Amino acid sequence: MRRFFVVLKKELKEMLTWQTLAPILVIMVIYSFLGRVINQEQKKQSAPQPMTIVDFDRSQTSQMLAGILTKANFKVTTITEGIVDDIVRKVASEKGTAVLVIPQGFEAGIQAQHPQKVQTYTIMRNFSLLGMNGTFRFDAALSAMNEYVGDIYIKTGAPGLDPATVRHAISAQSFVTVGTTSAEANPQEIVSVVMQQTMVIPIVLMLVIILASQMIAASIAGEKENKTLETLLSTPVARGALVTAKMMASGIVALVSAAAYMVGMKSYMGSLIGGTGGTSAAVGQAIQKLGLVLNLRGYVLLGLSVFAGIMVALSIAVILGAFAEDLKSVQFAIMPLIMIVLLPYLITMFIDINTASPVLKWLIYAIPFSHPFLAAQFIFAHNFTMVVAGIVYQFALFLVLATVAARIFSTDRILTMKLNTARRGSGLGGWTLQREGISFRLRRK
Amino acid sequence: MEQALVVENLKKSYGKFEALHGVSFEVAPGEIFALIGPNGAGKTTTLRIVATILQPTSGTAHVYGMDIQKDAARIREVISYLPEEAGAYKNLTGLGYLSFMAELFASDTAVQREYIQRASDITGLGERLRDKIGTYSKGMTRKLLLSRAVMTRPKLAIIDEPTSGLDVVAAIDIRESIRRSAVDGMAVLLSSHNMLEIEYLSDRVAIVDKGTIHDVGTPQGLKDKYGKANLEEVFVQVVKQ
Repeated sequence: MRRFFVVLKKELKEMLTWQTLAPILVIMVIYSFLGRVINQEQKKQSAPQPMTIVDFDRSQTSQMLAGILTKANFKVTTITEGIVDDIVRKVASEKGTAVLVIPQGFEAGIQAQHPQKVQTYTIMRNFSLLGMNGTFRFDAALSAMNEYVGDIYIKTGAPGLDPATVRHAISAQSFVTVGTTSAEANPQEIVSVVMQQTMVIPIVLMLVIILASQMIAASIAGEKENKTLETLLSTPVARGALVTAKMMASGIVALVSAAAYMVGMKSYMGSLIGGTGGTSAAVGQAIQKLGLVLNLRGYVLLGLSVFAGIMVALSIAVILGAFAEDLKSVQFAIMPLIMIVLLPYLITMFIDINTASPVLKWLIYAIPFSHPFLAAQFIFAHNFTMVVAGIVYQFALFLVLATVAARIFSTDRILTMKLNTARRGSGLGGWTLQREGISFRLRRK
Repeated sequence: MEQALVVENLKKSYGKFEALHGVSFEVAPGEIFALIGPNGAGKTTTLRIVATILQPTSGTAHVYGMDIQKDAARIREVISYLPEEAGAYKNLTGLGYLSFMAELFASDTAVQREYIQRASDITGLGERLRDKIGTYSKGMTRKLLLSRAVMTRPKLAIIDEPTSGLDVVAAIDIRESIRRSAVDGMAVLLSSHNMLEIEYLSDRVAIVDKGTIHDVGTPQGLKDKYGKANLEEVFVQVVKQ
């Protein structure tokens, strides 16, 4: 038994290293951070939802309905005149999310026991996962209104009245508004299709970025391990040419990855809204009209953003790969990169960038990989300025990082920088980045 | 006559650790000069500095009059460096690897073909050159790399631990190849901790320990000077002093 514990102790010592513990700790911190962010977002969602009622009937019944909706936890603003399209645009510009139009003759129709139709406009601007889950739902409002009118019918007693009219006196003609465009559609169907698109983009993109980064870092570490890098550095090839060729090769692979990604996306989205799947032709048309599919400009912008993101990842991977001494240490060396890819991936899925606190918003914008994740959401929301700004930022950052990478290759840093994960006799152990006189140590207590 | 290599008071520090404490020596054209010493003595650091892949903290080194820091690009045209236990691109065939490396040095395809032919002759690998390097034994890979190092007829070949980890037969082949190449006027700077090998191979030897050269001379001269039977005993005597 004693020998068993000796072996067990040795196994634990080998397994419980910073390499294994650091990712667990980082994931713990990320989840705790995400939990708080999502909690705040959910609180925002559970607050009374604002709704603008355009009351063209200006009747006692319509005013009563406004009161009913206020009681049903809606924050109601009533407008009694104007053109519907203009009102919807104004509400959208003021960050409102819902407009209910009560037509003229509504009360008279109710009194005549004729089913009535109201118009609902659902304004979509937040295409994150949580944002779309919180898309305004008129179901509760309609249900409250139908209950009220049904009560009136029951109280007045009308033996000849169709029970269906009692239960559903008011029905809705639903519109969805994105930017300044409205289209007749069921918001839940639109949300379902858009969500299928925005869910898949970050997942595939994250995989492409991580794979490309691992590839280049492994290529550098492999050359160092095999000492082919030393041989190459002693040949008449200029150092700049060496690093440029490596970056360019990775760039070409990244470009192919981005292109393959875009082709896959196009095919995926085509099958979603092509009418051959579960989506009806009407929803397909509405999605087209609302601009919730990528057109040529959208594909180009998304492609550029993805490409720029991959290039930034590759340049970071070149720098981190220079720290790796062998293939075994690549995974640990590029861990910081994976973390900064993972963070915006999770954040942008769950929070609404438009309503996030300024600190969180700029933190997200500062992470270069947020931009490809956000690009599709911004394109759907017709916010092209943010997409272009993101691309410009990513390319600028890439140039800076590529210059740093080129500097590393131009000097002997490429051979002298290393990650030291070995445990020291002093018992300090830990994670050390070393380079001629520079040493950063994360102490292990 | 201009020296192939002149190293003067070379120092190199890695942080607080000083790997070289001021190393000086000279190598003549056509001479095989060896740095001998235990692991960590500073041999590889010296070789890497001369090969222009590390920069010295202070001191100078000149290859055929060219400064290793100011004229590094020109020096790389006339030297070749073979690191200790170096590998090659395993997915390439032996011929593919030679072709790739020849293209980096050659001015045109005729010269490139000449380099490949010379290397193919030196390796003695025959048809195996058409196989992927991943299938080669350690000895075959080393022969391929050595032939790559000398195929361009460099003015100075820098070879780190030429036979480290090889069996006796492969080691003898490699030593013979180095000897033959030096006959053509190529200067060779090599390092080894195998002192018997160096005794056989080198014209002159520098005894290095803890970043310092303790003595320089021909193997026979050193043995005579210290009254010892072989270089291993000379080394122990020198280091103890």
